[in-house]
Amino acid sequence: MRALVVEDDSSIAEFVVRGLREAGFAVDQATEGEEGLAAASRQTYDVAIVDVMLPKRDGLSIIEELRRRGVTMPVLILSARRSVDDRVRGLQAGGDDYLTKPFAFAELLARVQALVRRATRAPEPTTLTVEDLLLDLLSRRVTRGGKPVDLRPREFSLLEYLMRNAGRVVSKTMILSHVWEYNFDPQTNVVDVLVSRLREKIDRPFDKKLLHTVRGVGYVLRA
Amino acid sequence: MIGSLAIVLLTYYLTAVSLTQRDRQILQAKLGDYTAAYLRGGINVLANTVRIEQRAAPERLFVRVIDRGVEAVVLSDSDGWDPARLETASVRLADGTLVQVGKSTEAREALLARFRAALGLVTLSIVVIALTGGWLVTQSALFPIRRLTQAVRQIIRTGRTNARVPLAGTGDALDELTALFNAMLDKIEGLVAAMRQSLDNVSHDLRTPLTRLRGTAEMALAGPSDVERYREALADCVEESDRVLVMLNTLMDISEAESGAMQLQREPVALSDVVARATDLYREVADAKGVAMVVRTGTGAQDAASQPDAVVMGDRTRLEQVAANLIDNALKYTPPGGRVEVEIGADGQAAILRVRDTGPGIPAAEMPRIFDRLFRGDTSRAERGLGLGLSLVKAVVEAHGGTVGVENEPGRGAVFTVRLPP
Repeated sequence: MRALVVEDDSSIAEFVVRGLREAGFAVDQATEGEEGLAAASRQTYDVAIVDVMLPKRDGLSIIEELRRRGVTMPVLILSARRSVDDRVRGLQAGGDDYLTKPFAFAELLARVQALVRRATRAPEPTTLTVEDLLLDLLSRRVTRGGKPVDLRPREFSLLEYLMRNAGRVVSKTMILSHVWEYNFDPQTNVVDVLVSRLREKIDRPFDKKLLHTVRGVGYVLRA
Repeated sequence: MIGSLAIVLLTYYLTAVSLTQRDRQILQAKLGDYTAAYLRGGINVLANTVRIEQRAAPERLFVRVIDRGVEAVVLSDSDGWDPARLETASVRLADGTLVQVGKSTEAREALLARFRAALGLVTLSIVVIALTGGWLVTQSALFPIRRLTQAVRQIIRTGRTNARVPLAGTGDALDELTALFNAMLDKIEGLVAAMRQSLDNVSHDLRTPLTRLRGTAEMALAGPSDVERYREALADCVEESDRVLVMLNTLMDISEAESGAMQLQREPVALSDVVARATDLYREVADAKGVAMVVRTGTGAQDAASQPDAVVMGDRTRLEQVAANLIDNALKYTPPGGRVEVEIGADGQAAILRVRDTGPGIPAAEMPRIFDRLFRGDTSRAERGLGLGLSLVKAVVEAHGGTVGVENEPGRGAVFTVRLPP
């Protein structure tokens, strides 16, 4: 997978590029608009991460120009602006997703991978498995080690989301927006509560723990 | 002014014409008389008639009789007659004799000259009065506009929005414009002050968590090198910076809502949907804490079952945030085994959202400050939170044109009531 990162802030660019490389991407980097547009025109990428505020040429105009030339690669927009209008403007320019600064790298990675997955149209699985944990999307049944686990709807959604992202850390914000479709921060951490309830059911009765807390970042389901 | 000039000219013209006509009528009449006298008794009778008349009449007439091409008799002294100033009438008789009567136009000219002078004076006065009056009127009409222009220029130059344009008190359109202009300045000044205030607040409020963040990192660096300790410190830093971000976003939301700068995506929103989403979000938390959460609809202020659902024109996400924060607050202060009740209803004027808890209620001393930013009642409780939830509730509700109030129910707990215009 090839990714292009167009970002002028060197420390943000560095942690994004390093993170993507660790996740197995081949990454090219541009630090200003014209350079970014030139790189995207020269090469075919599976995904591009483009900052809005760039020297020489802003991110939205790069995306517009690429779309005008018929380039269809998925683009994730990075921006320091969080208003609905800015988000809409970004998507109208031809961006596929929009992430507001500051962001957790885990969230950026999950969004990038979702964009790539959507673009390559991998067939949807009907069951998800991690070790001996099995989730059937059609019958909505969950078993661990062959024993049925009884989950409430929100717990099921959370487990499905964690299993789809197995091996990747997902942040509380990501869980909040995927499981409840809430895009603001509730005061009490409702995610903590739901995660601990899920843990009670899928991990507690078993020796091998699957659901791990990565302090300060989020949660991960892995063998 | 042009009208008055036209009237003056017309008056003069009509006067001149009627004077001329009167002279002509006199001449025609005399001509008739003299011709009759001549026909009756020849030149002698005519001469007599003329002589008698000339003695009696104040105005001299010029009379001559020309017999067959030869000037024969002039019955009036020919001296002093200026042909240019002579109005004449004549008749040729059957025998070829021409009788001519003339009248000097001098008197008429003199009269008209005096008339012209009088009219000229009048015209001049009209012109002077009109011009002066016009100038004065324009000046007085322009004065408030000039004042307005000056005030605007002053504001642009100094960047100070506290200048105001004094009202003339006439209640006319310009006064109204001035009042509107002042009202606009009030609004701008209010917004600028609110922005400045919120910027001050935000920068102040961010200092505490940033100090904590820095302290954590510094302590880790100062201590012995130990990967586990570092990991702990870094995780603390990430969590703290997340809190800073949440705080910043919430403070910005509060400031925007308070200053009127918040963009509300208004649509018809059923409060029951809003409450269903919010209770869904907190269901697990309530269960985990052992607090029962109950939703009741159709709770009007007077008539309990009058309106089963309340619909308001509002921003769905923001209203969800209001409900979520109120429920969050209620759950925080309700001990295990307690109860949080959410009621939705409407009375004639407003949609009502009410959240009751069975907590300890709000101490009287804290009541006035409960909606203040960063105020956290009874910190010994060690409940997590930024102390911004209720401030945001108040700001968002008020941005929707509603009100939020709180009271203690004796022996039960706190009751928050949100009233939103439909």
